[in-house]
Amino acid sequence: MTKSFGGLTAVKAVDFHLGEGEIVGLIGPNGAGKTTLFNLIGGIFPADTGAVLFNGRGIKGLKTFEICRLGIARTFQIVRPFLKMSCLENVLVGIIGRNEKQRRKEEEKKGEAGELLKFVGLAGEEKKLAHNLTLIQKKRLEMARALATRPKVLLLDEVLAGLNPSEIHQALELIEAIRSEHRITIFWVEHVMGAIMKASDRIIVLDQGRKIKEGKPGEVVSDQRVIEAYLGEPDA
Amino acid sequence: MAFKKYCLPIFLIILAIFPPLVLSPYWLHVMIISLFYVMMASSWNLLAGFTGQVSFAHAAFSGVGAYVSGMLAVFLGLSPWMGILLGAGAGALLGFGLGFLCIRMGGIYLSLTTLGFSEILRIIITNEEKWTRGTMGLQTPGLFAHYSKADTYYLFLIVTVLILFFIYRFIHSEWGVTFRAVLNDEVAASASGINTIQVRVLAFALTSAMAGLAGGLYGHYLMLITPDIPSLGQMFLVLAMAVIGGMGSFAGPIIGSFVLEILSEYIRVYGEYHVLLFGLVALAVARFAPEGMMGIWAKSRGRQ
Repeated sequence: MTKSFGGLTAVKAVDFHLGEGEIVGLIGPNGAGKTTLFNLIGGIFPADTGAVLFNGRGIKGLKTFEICRLGIARTFQIVRPFLKMSCLENVLVGIIGRNEKQRRKEEEKKGEAGELLKFVGLAGEEKKLAHNLTLIQKKRLEMARALATRPKVLLLDEVLAGLNPSEIHQALELIEAIRSEHRITIFWVEHVMGAIMKASDRIIVLDQGRKIKEGKPGEVVSDQRVIEAYLGEPDA
Repeated sequence: MAFKKYCLPIFLIILAIFPPLVLSPYWLHVMIISLFYVMMASSWNLLAGFTGQVSFAHAAFSGVGAYVSGMLAVFLGLSPWMGILLGAGAGALLGFGLGFLCIRMGGIYLSLTTLGFSEILRIIITNEEKWTRGTMGLQTPGLFAHYSKADTYYLFLIVTVLILFFIYRFIHSEWGVTFRAVLNDEVAASASGINTIQVRVLAFALTSAMAGLAGGLYGHYLMLITPDIPSLGQMFLVLAMAVIGGMGSFAGPIIGSFVLEILSEYIRVYGEYHVLLFGLVALAVARFAPEGMMGIWAKSRGRQ
């Protein structure tokens, strides 16, 4: 996949795949093209060349909501809950977004939304406006909303940014629970190295738009090119 | 609980039966006009207050309803009742078109585009002699064989209640949640599987149909349709009613319509300046109490 903005090529011929139920981390220095890659998958803008295949089906050119309905959900780097809506309504949007053929009672959907809030640790906050939540609560709410769309793949964009160590620990438990209980593939961007190395099965490293390394966390941290990308070349 | 919920609306509807029995013809006229504004402000609120599309073309769509129905009656001899329905349909169709044109726009750009549409329509109607009779206005037949303010009042009341009932059910259904999601954050709504384009165009078509219906009724009540109906002055009055009453709430535009219409009867002696005054008040409300009278009321209740 390649994507250019004017003269700048943000993502250069990056190729990778995600296995079912895997947790794959995406790292790289600032400006490496991580968020651009996310937006390409999420259909915010199309790739110049290359394709995104989901269960063997090309999703290039589909609109954002269509990609979501296929089973790819995401959270945002800067949280975007529906601020002037209650927590329950926020999650309800994701359930409505599934656009299910068979009609269900509203009570049933609200019950399901309540369960999801409980799952992410927001039980008892159903009626609270999203505006009044703390940062970690907003992030949890966004995860609940994304889960409500019943995704097969969940894209998490820097969910740990701005959290303190104990909150990071809670968030990691939640991510692990999402995988084990909902059987969802997780693809995430993160700057908190310790956390992403611990929780991921596989790591992809981007630098200046190129994939420079892919492998198990242990292999990645000892790779010469990765160290150079982060710290600069030895004699520089 | 269910009884309590329906208590207030039923009480208000029963109360609304009495005006023709007690009010003078002049004040009955004011009530009829107020009901027209309730339909206009409430439907505009569904568009602007629930999907965030601040359209300036709402009065224009009421003009579409009035002129389509009026011209069908004058030139084809169609019954006003049929004409009003066709006028609402024409409003829906044009609303769909304008909504579609605006799908990539937000905020001020959408407002300016709809303002342009509104003015184009008004200028065409003003300069057209043969079909719309320009500034002289189009004389149209009334709704009833025998002119009766009381009958007209009841008709307006029934249609208003039906529209309000529809809006109430709509905003308290999943559609209401969807509309507000689009209002809050379009990108996030889209990433949650909501077809935001469908929502926006639907809102335009639906509310334009309501404006067309209100305009058709209004035209046949006045029996003279002039380019004042689709004018920006009218638009700002509707906007002021919704904003001062409380955008994004159900009751806000209803209260705003009655308060401003009745108030404007008292300050009518100052001529067109009352629109200026309402504009200033609406500006102040938008700046200092963005949730309008409903918001102020909710806040004062919360403090107790």
